[in-house]
Amino acid sequence: MKSMRVEHHPILGDMEKQQRVTIYFDNQPYEAYKGDTIASALLASGVRTLRVHEDKETPRGIYCNIGHCFECRVTVNGVNTVRACVTSVEENMVIESGKSFATSSQKGGQL
Amino acid sequence: MIDLVIVGAGPAGLGAAIAAAENGLEVVILDEFVKPGGRLLGQLHEEPDGRWENGIVEAQKLYDCAARLGVTILCGVSVYDLQQVNNGWCVYTTKQPFESKCLLLATGASETPIPIPGWTLPGVMSIGAAQVMGNVHRVKPGEKGIIIGVNVLSVAIARELQLCGVHIEGIMLPKQSLVSGDASKPEAMMESLLRLSHLAPSPFIRFGGKWVSPKLGTLLYPRNGFKMWDIPIQLRKTALEIVGDKQVEGVRVADISATGEVIPGKEKVVSADFVCIAGGLTPLSELASVAGCTFCYVPELGGHIPLHNEYMQTNVDGLYVAGNITGVESAKVARAQGTVAGLSISRELHALQDTADDFVHAAVMKVKETRRNALIQFQPGIEEARKALYEKYEEQAGKPISI
Amino acid sequence: MSCDQTVICRCEEVTMSEIQETANRYKCSSREVKLRTRAGMGPCGGRTCRSMIDRLVEQVGGPSVSHEVPLSYRPPVRPISFGVLGGEAK
Repeated sequence: MKSMRVEHHPILGDMEKQQRVTIYFDNQPYEAYKGDTIASALLASGVRTLRVHEDKETPRGIYCNIGHCFECRVTVNGVNTVRACVTSVEENMVIESGKSFATSSQKGGQL
Repeated sequence: MIDLVIVGAGPAGLGAAIAAAENGLEVVILDEFVKPGGRLLGQLHEEPDGRWENGIVEAQKLYDCAARLGVTILCGVSVYDLQQVNNGWCVYTTKQPFESKCLLLATGASETPIPIPGWTLPGVMSIGAAQVMGNVHRVKPGEKGIIIGVNVLSVAIARELQLCGVHIEGIMLPKQSLVSGDASKPEAMMESLLRLSHLAPSPFIRFGGKWVSPKLGTLLYPRNGFKMWDIPIQLRKTALEIVGDKQVEGVRVADISATGEVIPGKEKVVSADFVCIAGGLTPLSELASVAGCTFCYVPELGGHIPLHNEYMQTNVDGLYVAGNITGVESAKVARAQGTVAGLSISRELHALQDTADDFVHAAVMKVKETRRNALIQFQPGIEEARKALYEKYEEQAGKPISI
Repeated sequence: MSCDQTVICRCEEVTMSEIQETANRYKCSSREVKLRTRAGMGPCGGRTCRSMIDRLVEQVGGPSVSHEVPLSYRPPVRPISFGVLGGEAK
């Protein structure tokens, strides 16, 4: 897909050449730039859904982008409730989207 | 024990750190974002003389200056609790606890939401989120966007997104609801826009700013809105719902009357791949509340404000505030307030010489001057509201604090 | 209006109508609304929705917004693991 990067900017200038790193989101490799947050790297690759609501399963992505709202929480290298918008990417970082609790009573399942 | 811990590395926090470190204090700044600069990072605007003010460059200058003075700046660290300890404060963070003689909260503001059906869909974000994505991370939030909420912030950021190569389909009002308040009223929003009129290239709004009352403005201008920087500003259209299956596909829009009532039979879906919610800013004062500050509700300043005086002192020992936590204003005002806080703290810790009062007084004057010269007034009546707040502080001084 | 299914609390997916009905039925404060509906009790700690809850409660005839912060802030103001709470370095 077309990159969403702002390569050129009339005031801020051209983007400097970036060092590339590979991150994994739900087992898929994605290219990121050093200095990216998880959220910006994934958005640049067109990934918008970072989790589904634990009960209602509605899809969610970034909302505030500065760490206030916790909507972009994902699991990073096994640690959960990590905010994608305030976490820098690292080489070979393993990120998993937030899943629903499959046995939630909301869906008529059994606890 | 560290002399001063500052929570927030925006213009206020960095400004305070510089002033304090210049007077020999040992300072640590904590911030949960990946880089220092706070809200300043995303800002980009043209001054009346045609010069561009670039927040990234300004933030870098402040950072370099603070770093040169030996300030420790830690990013990616979240503060989750505070406690008063003997002769100072203990700040609990995701990294380690920090103990300091004085504490400055420069946590800025959070964005005020406007709930709209469909606003949890991926691709819907706060206007500040889009600003940070485009200007700081250099990633477009989408190709074609609609902004819901007409105010000084949304118009300014729409322009910035346009510079990032994003098409802005329009800026419109949110649908009326129990929580939308003035945000869905054309007249109130026109008034808010007129405070931008001196910046606007549109002859209509420039004319409006000078001669037309807000009321006349909303009645006069064309149903299809007017344009600023070629961006349609639609005070007579309302966003009823954000639509999309797995992510944003568009916004269901209706025409509204000058008083904000939906005109039936004029609904349609306008396609877009992202939507920004622009509800304004609210001071982020949770840590001040945990610390036991007294609060005042001041709508002109954006909401609940920790009671403080002109020297940025709260009514809790050793606790100071600066920047948007004290009321929503421009980054330049925040920076000037930071200097006041840094000097006041230096005075409290006896790091200033005999002329301390003169220094602090000059810094206070500088805040007032900066406020008067600010390009954007977020709300009318800021100066009066602040005066009342400081008087209230004086009234309460000496009285025991009830929490 | 009472069938408004707009989500107010994004973390817990509490709708405008749920909050409105609760505030109406129990004639209660923001705090009681929070305890009854879980609005404001998710990972963000109510940072996103608290002002809307206050406004809704005020609109249905509850206490109006005053100098006091209606939904008090309690530490921790960020969700943290027991490890961090116990002093484990990150």
